Amino acid sequence: MTRLLAGLYHRNGAGMATFMLAGVAFWIVFLIVLPQLAMLDFSLRYDLPPARIGGPEDVYTFDNYKFFLFGHPGNPEGWNFVDLRVFARTIVAAALVTVLNLAICYPIAYYLAQSASGAGARAIAIALIVPYWINEILRAFAFRIIFGDAGVINTVLKLLGLVDQSIDFIRMDVALYAGLTYAYLLLMIFPLYNAIESLDRNQLEAARDLGAPWWRIHWRVVIPFAKPGITSGCTMVFMLAAGALAVPQVLGGPSSLWFTQLIYQSFFDFLNWARGAAYAVILLVTCTLVVLLMMRVFKVRLGEIGR
Amino acid sequence: MSQHSAATVDAAPAAPPVRRAWTPETTIRVFVGAYIVLFFAYLFGPLIIMSITAFNSSSFPRAVPWECLTFEWFAKAAADDRLRMGLRNAAVIGAGVVSLSVTLGLAGALFLTQVWPRARATYYTVVISPILMPGVVLGISTLLFWDRIAKTLGASTDTLFYNGIFLTILGQSCFISSYCMLVFIARLQRFDMGLVDAALDLGATNAQAFRKILLPFLKPAVGSAAVLAFLASFENYNTTVFTISHYNTFTTEVAQKARLGIDPSISSLAVVIIVLSLIGVLAHEGWSRYAARREKTGARGPGAFFRGNPAAIMSALIVVAGLGTMWAAQHHSAAACKAEVLQEKLEIQRRLREEAAQRRLERQQQQGPAESVPARSGIGSPGRGTFGDVFSPESLRGAPTPTAPAEPRTPGVFSPDTLRPGTGQ
Repeated sequence: MTRLLAGLYHRNGAGMATFMLAGVAFWIVFLIVLPQLAMLDFSLRYDLPPARIGGPEDVYTFDNYKFFLFGHPGNPEGWNFVDLRVFARTIVAAALVTVLNLAICYPIAYYLAQSASGAGARAIAIALIVPYWINEILRAFAFRIIFGDAGVINTVLKLLGLVDQSIDFIRMDVALYAGLTYAYLLLMIFPLYNAIESLDRNQLEAARDLGAPWWRIHWRVVIPFAKPGITSGCTMVFMLAAGALAVPQVLGGPSSLWFTQLIYQSFFDFLNWARGAAYAVILLVTCTLVVLLMMRVFKVRLGEIGR
Repeated sequence: MSQHSAATVDAAPAAPPVRRAWTPETTIRVFVGAYIVLFFAYLFGPLIIMSITAFNSSSFPRAVPWECLTFEWFAKAAADDRLRMGLRNAAVIGAGVVSLSVTLGLAGALFLTQVWPRARATYYTVVISPILMPGVVLGISTLLFWDRIAKTLGASTDTLFYNGIFLTILGQSCFISSYCMLVFIARLQRFDMGLVDAALDLGATNAQAFRKILLPFLKPAVGSAAVLAFLASFENYNTTVFTISHYNTFTTEVAQKARLGIDPSISSLAVVIIVLSLIGVLAHEGWSRYAARREKTGARGPGAFFRGNPAAIMSALIVVAGLGTMWAAQHHSAAACKAEVLQEKLEIQRRLREEAAQRRLERQQQQGPAESVPARSGIGSPGRGTFGDVFSPESLRGAPTPTAPAEPRTPGVFSPDTLRPGTGQ
């Protein structure tokens, strides 16, 4: 450690070295590590009124985590089905959104990386970027206009005489899934594009010359090669979808909540910060586990994610 | 495939060069073309529809049925005090986040080149982790941490620790610094450290080497990191909503509006943002093409800027169209058209009411005056077998049929009250 510091000061001079160290230390300690520890600490305490904080009742407890699993003490059902169901639904739906996203983006990324060229590729890239300058909330709002009760789809269906009653796309969560998938398209396309773009076209030619049909070329050549990109894209999309708050708030049905909405409610409706912190820890741990699992299964290092 | 360099996004792949007979490959190309068209329909359809609703006078954001061309929703959004306040807060927060994140990101990226190799992976994992954490978690942890610090210090609630803007800057900087760091790392990878060594050998101090060699090299990256940081800060919701406390930003305000009420003025905000980003992206594209050509041919000036540069031309056209629309908005009034639409609606309502009264009269003649409660008024939709079951055997028998509540979708017209003669609205 001292060797590192000495080397740092020797190589960069006092001013630069201090700037680097102070910046990195502030960032890691005050913005990343301590806040997470504070959140963990909060989650392990009772939700007490300010007057009793620091008093004899202010001790550590697993109460908030127990609540997530079992509900209130004396809950006749045994398990906290309401919250557990929301949690499971969020994870499953986020995974579904991820798979949908991959399926939609793979052909475009492949086309952009291997087939399109010159002006066409530039035009497509610009066309992809523009929608992402627009706020996530406004994009969700657009889906509400389309899928709403008196939205475009329902109005057109009624005009065509296909339906009598409005179809409640919002309650069916169609709008939510479409909106979430839409929200993260770009974050899937870019890693995929970066991965596929570096694939040598000669490999494709060779596979073709050896008589492989197109689907086998993808399955045996392109996809294995693009695996880091696929993993990176899927991880990003999954994390963002599972942690999304704005899109479910705008597009979620009245009876179906997203897990982040439970956290939001704990903070702003029930004013129970301790439980909210515990739920946030649960979300963070789940997401971390998913990332680690993805990296383990697809044998990708973290350095390759987030490029 | 590379022969047909695509001029436009949609047309190019759909029209493959017809040189050979129809082969399986042609089929694939047609599918790919169709897929790309569908994909971009999914990408742009929602935005286009939303933009249309911003110009429709219907007080509910809808593209169909079209009522009148109006610009009132823009005026309404522009006059919204909370939105203005949100914009101002977002600008303050954005400035704070840009200065903090660019600094931290630069420090982080430089440190990565220096940290000894064994610790490198761990260090990288730590500083990149905020990107992979859910935004709500970052917001909550920032809120709780500074709350804890404030309580420990015994600070009162009007200090910085409870200030939503301060907390938001810190919470957002946590992960935006990682973005900035990635930008700097990408740039640093192309930097030749030998240049700094050469400067030092020639007698420069470390500070001089940094200021004169490294910083100029990193300057474009500072610019793009700052732009990225500002955009990320401006549109952040998940973190901000937890740290902002009683303040608001543009984004939290829009979210509030989009959740609670549904109002075309939100669409008008989207139109403004879409137009601005289109101009921004196209102008940037046009500028980089112009700069690249200027390097090669040395052609300068506005003529050279627009010649053979579709992105530049398009951005200029959009600016002109936007200004034209703004001018037209000053001189356009939707009042006449809206009065017409209202008249039409009243007309339809009146006709329906008349028809209903007519039927009631007929029925009274058939059944005698005793029957005054309409049977199942809620069933049937307008214009399509309405009141069909009035003539069903049951009604004729005079059985006490339950009165279903009027359908909420067609209020007024079919409610029992309306059927009573003489109730005008």
